[in-house]
Amino acid sequence: MAVREIQPTRSELLETTRKIRLTKNGHKILKLKRDGLILEFFNILDQAKNLRQEIAGLYKTAKETIAIASAVDGVIAVRSAAYALTVHPEIQLRSRNLMGVVVPEITSSRIVAPLDERGYGIIGTSPRIDEAADAYEKLVETVVKAAELETTMKKLLEEIERTKRRVNALEFKVLPELEEIERFIRFRLEELERDNIFRLKRIKNKTAAKTEA
Amino acid sequence: MEIAVVGSEEFVVGFRLAGIRKVYGVEPDKLQETILQLLEEKSVGILAVHSKDIERLPQPLRDRMMASVDPVVIPVGEEEGDMRDKIRRAMGIDLYKTK
Repeated sequence: MAVREIQPTRSELLETTRKIRLTKNGHKILKLKRDGLILEFFNILDQAKNLRQEIAGLYKTAKETIAIASAVDGVIAVRSAAYALTVHPEIQLRSRNLMGVVVPEITSSRIVAPLDERGYGIIGTSPRIDEAADAYEKLVETVVKAAELETTMKKLLEEIERTKRRVNALEFKVLPELEEIERFIRFRLEELERDNIFRLKRIKNKTAAKTEA
Repeated sequence: MEIAVVGSEEFVVGFRLAGIRKVYGVEPDKLQETILQLLEEKSVGILAVHSKDIERLPQPLRDRMMASVDPVVIPVGEEEGDMRDKIRRAMGIDLYKTK
């Protein structure tokens, strides 16, 4: 809003001061929200970092075991064991509210299956394949955990960015503009006041000169 | 919902062994197409992709994968992925250093 479009009236001044009060209040609350979000983010950050490292480590071992399994038993044996599986992990998504941000809660059905429940024959396959399956089951379990945390982080980051932008917009754009308008109206009113006093004085002088004459 | 895995045949074979059904072993030139398809699919809750494969994808797609929540794209591998960049942008500091 340009200053020039403002009507320098008393009601406008009242309206502007009310707006300033509201903006300051909102700014304070948004700042609190931002700090709360950042705090929440820091709580999750460490966990997510650990999980990421865990995934890297688990993936490395899983890769090694499957490499050994397919080198010794052949790729076809590994694949046929994989196709014989009867246990398939399922995941459920639920949502949770975290400081106004909706974050998912991912739960999975059992991923790590005991050896005899996997579905392929124990005798038909070698222990190397079992080991590889073990390693990958663990990896998938960690991936599911990481999925929940990383989504939460993504959502939190988005919300933090948005809140930050709002806080800054209020602080550096909206508030200064409103304050400028308030100042303009106040000065303008004061000037009108002085104009009026001067006029009154002149009339008083004139009437005084008239009565004297 | 289910977990889906996309990548080279040697990357995905182990996940098949862990019981995952939506496993797509594709050639590198088909990767982009498959990922786009899976991002649209309703039954996929988590999409695991090798972090090296992600690095080779065009930036717009990477951004889209990063922003996607349903499904969540999880990079598997040694690299940190795009999360680090996102954190640096939002917080102003590099908080995601692991080393």
